[in-house]
Order: sequence, then C-alpha cells, then structure tokens
Amino acid sequence: MNSILLIFVLIVIATTSFIVGRRRALHSVGGIIKDLHSLPNHYGWFSALAGFLPGLIIILIWIMFGGTLVDNITLAALGEEIRNLSDFDRTLYMNDIRNLAVQDAISRPVTETLKSAAQYYSRTQENIFWIFALSAIGISTVSAFFGIKKVSPELRSRNLLERLILYFLVVCSAIAILTTVGIVSSLIVVTLRFLEHVPLTDFLFGLKWSPQTALRPDQVGSSGSFGSIPLFAGTLLITLIALFIALPVGLLSAIYMTEFAKPKARAFFKPLLELLAGIPTVVYGFFAALVVAPAIRSSGEAIGLEIASESALAAGLVMGIMIIPLISSLSDDVISAVPQSLRDASYGLGATKTETILNIIIPSALPGIVSAFLLAASRAIGETMIVVMAAGMAANLTANPLEAVTTVTVQILALLTGDQEFDSAKTLSAFALGLALFAITLFLNFIALKIVRKYQEQYD
Amino acid sequence: MDKAAVTTVQDLVQPTIRATNVNIYYDDTHAIKDVNLDIPPKAVTALIGPSGCGKSTFLRSINRMNDTIPSCRMTGQITLYGDDIYDKKIDVVQLRARVGMVFQKPNPFPKSIYDNVAYGPRIHGLANSDADLDNIVFNSLQKSGLWDEVKDRLDTPGTALSGGQRQRLCIARTIAINPEVILMDEPCSALDPIATAIIEELITELKERFTIVIVTHSMQQAARVSQKTAFFHLGKILEFGDTSEIFTNPKVEKTKDYITGRYG
Ligand SMILES: Nc1ncnc2c1ncn2[C@@H]1O[C@H](COP(=O)(O)OP(=O)(O)OP(=O)(O)O)[C@@H](O)[C@H]1O
Ligand SMILES: [Mg+2]
Repeated sequence: MNSILLIFVLIVIATTSFIVGRRRALHSVGGIIKDLHSLPNHYGWFSALAGFLPGLIIILIWIMFGGTLVDNITLAALGEEIRNLSDFDRTLYMNDIRNLAVQDAISRPVTETLKSAAQYYSRTQENIFWIFALSAIGISTVSAFFGIKKVSPELRSRNLLERLILYFLVVCSAIAILTTVGIVSSLIVVTLRFLEHVPLTDFLFGLKWSPQTALRPDQVGSSGSFGSIPLFAGTLLITLIALFIALPVGLLSAIYMTEFAKPKARAFFKPLLELLAGIPTVVYGFFAALVVAPAIRSSGEAIGLEIASESALAAGLVMGIMIIPLISSLSDDVISAVPQSLRDASYGLGATKTETILNIIIPSALPGIVSAFLLAASRAIGETMIVVMAAGMAANLTANPLEAVTTVTVQILALLTGDQEFDSAKTLSAFALGLALFAITLFLNFIALKIVRKYQEQYD
Repeated sequence: MDKAAVTTVQDLVQPTIRATNVNIYYDDTHAIKDVNLDIPPKAVTALIGPSGCGKSTFLRSINRMNDTIPSCRMTGQITLYGDDIYDKKIDVVQLRARVGMVFQKPNPFPKSIYDNVAYGPRIHGLANSDADLDNIVFNSLQKSGLWDEVKDRLDTPGTALSGGQRQRLCIARTIAINPEVILMDEPCSALDPIATAIIEELITELKERFTIVIVTHSMQQAARVSQKTAFFHLGKILEFGDTSEIFTNPKVEKTKDYITGRYG
C-alpha cells in the first residue's frame, strides 16, 4: 500500500521534471525547435526518466529484498535459543511472528515474547520502509535535477531514449524467456526425483497406470504402477476424434468464408464462429457430459450397443467443436494470404471455382493449413476440462472410442488435487507427465512454426 | 481445325470482338461510358490512355473477369465472333478458354514450370495422353521463346524464374489452351528494357495466330507492336483507328496531347 503511494510520489517528480526539462530545452534555443538535436518531448522524457528510474530501482530493491532484511533484523534481536533452532523450526517461528504482526491466525499459543517480537517486527518493517522511501524520493529528486541540468540543444536525447526503449524491450522478453526456462527446469528437477522412485522405462513404456501408493510405510497397499502409455493413448484417441471433426469443418468453413461468402455474409458468420472460441471450456465440458454423452449412449442403445456414460467419443466430439474456430480462423488467414493474382490467373485460364480452390488455393495455403492443424492438435492435447467431465478417469488402454478413457492432463489434475504428500511417487509423477506433455506440444508447435516460416518465404 | 476455316470466312464480314454501348460501373463509379469498339482479327489492338481511365476495366470485361468483382455491373453488349458473351447460355469457363489473359504482374503458380503450362490443358481436357500433354507444353514454351532457357529444368518452380521469364511463362500458359484472343494488361510494366523487347517481339509473332488486345502506358510500345489503337479518356473512347494514323495524325486534340506527352 505504502509502495503504491511512493510510486505516486515518483510520478509527480517525473511529471514535474518532464515539464521543466521540456521548457528548458525550448528556452535554450529561444523556441526554435529545429535548432534542438531532438524534439522538445524527447528532452521532456529524458528529464522525466532521469527522475523516475533511480527511485523505481530502489523500490524494486525494497520489494525484492526488504522482507528478508526485516526478517534478519528481527531474528538478530531475538534470543539465542531462537537463533539456534533448526532451519525448519526457525522458519515456522518467523512465520508466526509475521502472521501475528498482521493479526492472522498462528500455529502456537500467543505468548508475551511472541507478541513483543511481532511488535518489534512491525516497527522494524515500518522504519526500514521509510528509509527506503526517503532515499528513493531523495535520489530521484537529485537525479531529476541533474537530468534537467544536462538538457542542452546538443544533448542527443532522442538517441538515448531510443536505447532505453531497446533495453526495456529486452527486459520484457527476458522475463518471458526466463519464466519458461524456470518452469521447465523446475519440471525437470522434480521429474528427476520421480525417476528415483520409478525407472524411466517403466514410465515411458508401461502399459498399466494406477498411481495408488501406500501413504505410510506401515500401510498395506499397492506400490502403484506408473506406465504412461494408457494416458498417452487416451490423449491420442480423443485428440484424433477431435481433429477428425474439426479439420474438415474448420477448413471448409474457412474456404466458404474466403472464397464464397459475400462481404455481408462474412461479416455475419465470422464473429459468430469466433464466438465459439469464447465459450469457456467448462461449459463445453458440461455440454459434453450432460447432452452429448447421454445422446451417444441412447443412440447406441437403440442399435443394441452397450456404451458407457463416459466415452472418448463424447469428449472428442465436443473438443472437436471447440477447436473448429481455431482451425477455421487460422486457415482463413492463410487462405486470404494467397495472392489475388493467383486466383485471377486460374480464373483467367477458364478454371472453375472448385478447380481453383483444389488446384491453386489449397496447395498454396497447405503449409499454413498444416501448421494450423498442428496448433489445434497441441491445443486439444492440452485440454483438460472437457475430458474430466465427459471421458472419465479410468485409465483404459483401448482404441474403442465408446469406452471411457483418460488423458494426461486429467491425470495430472487428479494427482494434484486433494491432500497429497509431496514426496510420494504419486505426486511426483504429475510433474513427469507434465514434462512429457510439454515436450510433445513443444515439438508440435516447433514444427508448426517451421512450416509457417517456410511458407512465408514463398510469395516474394 | 474447322474453327480456323470458319474464322477466315467470318473475318471478312465481322470483327473478332465488337463492343456496343458498353457501360461498366463499380458501385457508384461509372468506369466505362458508352464504349463502342471493333477489334479486328489476327492483329494487335492497343488500348492507351491516362491512368484510371478504364482500360483495365474494359479489357477485363472481354473475358468476363469482372464477374469476380462483386461490385462490378455492366450494360451493353460484347460479342465474340457474333456471340453475345454476356448471354445466359454462354459458359464463362469456355469463354475464358477462348479469350486468354496475361496480367500486369507476372503471376506464375507456385508449381513447376511444366505444371504451370499444363494447368490449362489439364482442366480443359485438351490432352488425350501424357505424350500429348508433353507436346502441348513443348509447343507453348517454344512459341513463347522460353523453351531453350528452361528445357533442362521443367520441374523447378515457375516462381524461381526471372521477371521476364515469368511473364513469358504466363504467356506460354495462356497459349497452351489455344485461345482465339489474348488480352494483355500492361504485360511489360514490371520488366526491364531487354525483357520488354523480347516480349514485344513475341507479341508480333503471336499476332499471326491470335487476336491480341494490349493495354500499355508506353507510347513507343503501342507504336511498335499494334496495328490499331484506341485512346481512352475518363471512361470514353475519344479516338480509335490505325496506329500509324493515330500517332502521326491524331484527330482529337486530347489524343495529340497525350501521345506527345503534354497531357497533365
Ligand atoms: N475493383 C474495383 N472496385 C472499385 N472501383 C474500381 C475497381 N477497379 C477499378 N475501379 C475504378 O474504375 C476506374 C477505372 O479503373 P481501371 O483500373 O480500369 O483504370 P486503368 O485505365 O486500367 O488505369 P491504370 O492505367 O492505372 O491501370 C477507376 O476510377 C478505378 O478507381
Ligand atoms: Mg490498369
């Protein structure tokens, strides 16, 4: 809360500095803008950032390290016996102090010592914050002052700003990359721990998935089997059903939109199709569970087939509907990108619409269509909600779409919900599944992007 | 081949293409106003005029390419050897097989050179065997003067050729369906002078067998390749006649201004 106020103060400093810096630049050349190296606003921004950035850096330091600093000071003030506790107990103790300081529930009876420790903690926190806040404001003011003083017609503020923007963009993309790297590496670390419990070959090639393990060493129970094949087979089955529906429908509707629909019809249908993409997957899920699955079941009964109320078919059908807009809008883009001159050439040679579509447009757009297909596939593979609700949890290894199957994502969900012991093979296996899933979708996306890139070079 | 025989008889009595009171509109734009024009057989007719005067629009109406533009409407009559090409009975697909078109920007398909040329014959079923098709491709490339340059790489993409070669490939693609008329919309505007000279030479050869209508912005080109010239201005034809006549002795002041480069 206080940090926000502080940032507000910094913004005020920056704004003032902007106005003054800009004014100073204009004044230095007597109002003749072309005598300045850069535009007046560049000088304004230069001064503003000179005032804002140093303060911002100090605030960031506070946000990142302030907590640890306050903890350590509090700890130092506490007695010997607390400092000599084991790491784990000390962390717990500090937690209680912190919670007490904000009047939250704590894990032990509230004693006088604890109370005074909490008070000490709050006080320290406040003091340290003010030290940071005042130095942020002070340094920002000084830096703004020097920034403004530097403003002169020769100052290349435009170039400086340009470089700053570059750094900013680099930082932003670094954040995205680092996050991915962080997630993947944590997946890898936990997966390695899982592999201490279960051999890699069992995980990759085992045909039985039943992750129940004994919770306590003295408990009788199965040791669990972690063969992931049934899960990947289930995923594959549902994905194939979904693509079987979505590819023709999506592609043909894209062809209709681009080649046949009048502008008015297009303006009507396109948003409608894209509306499909906006439906939350959980809604698709209960549509699958409450409408599609029973319908499949009763139509199966009508022809004398015994069909489970949860089936791969129901989940696959609904998932197919869900990814239609993805395929159709991506294909729509690549088909529209086929140059009009190619259509003209084909029509000019006396080809009909269908001939032109089959011989010219689809082959030209094929790489794009393939990559749309792959992106849709990785979307289907990662989908969870529909499958949980419509395909069930049973890890059957089957190619029969009328049976219940389960998928990788559903199992991850099942493994990690509810009370879990973190170090059991059962919990850890979720991370191994996650990593495997990630590898597959990464591979699909990689291929899709490669194809798209090749495709972009095609028309000069 | 009886078509050719019929043609020679008809040549004496009527032009290949006759446009009567043609008006063309794009929504509210009146692009072509009351145009009448007779295009003679086995000759090159040049359409010239300032930018935006409707040359392309008129040209595209001759093989009904304007049909692909939803906002485009036309009134009046255009006949090809006496048949009204806008008649309901006329099949556009067949019409375009009789009236081929070469575009301003060379637009080969992203297919092999062979498949580019074979495209038209395949969809119209002009070849009875593979050998037949090979023959058509050979003849067309030969006539467009491209054969010697590409005979060793017929299976490489047509898009990998140079600009001038691409345009000749497009011409080969058009003559492969053996049309009666070839329409060309500024076929040389994207080419360098040498490639242009080659194409102009080609046009002169082709007029022995085809009726050619060409839109061009180059006065020299019109003078070099065409026998008839029509001067378009703001959607109307201001002057039409023998090219030699128009370029040496224009009757309309505007034509004179335009061909001498004084047009603003
Ligand atoms: N697809 C279209 N939609 C709407 N208006 C068009 C369209 N094509 C052409 N026009 C209009 O019709 C008129 C004639 O255009 P056209 O392309 O026939 O001219 P042009 O003589 O070929 O010009 P240029 O020499 O520049 O190629 C212009 O006013 C143009 O704006
Ligand atoms: Mg034009």
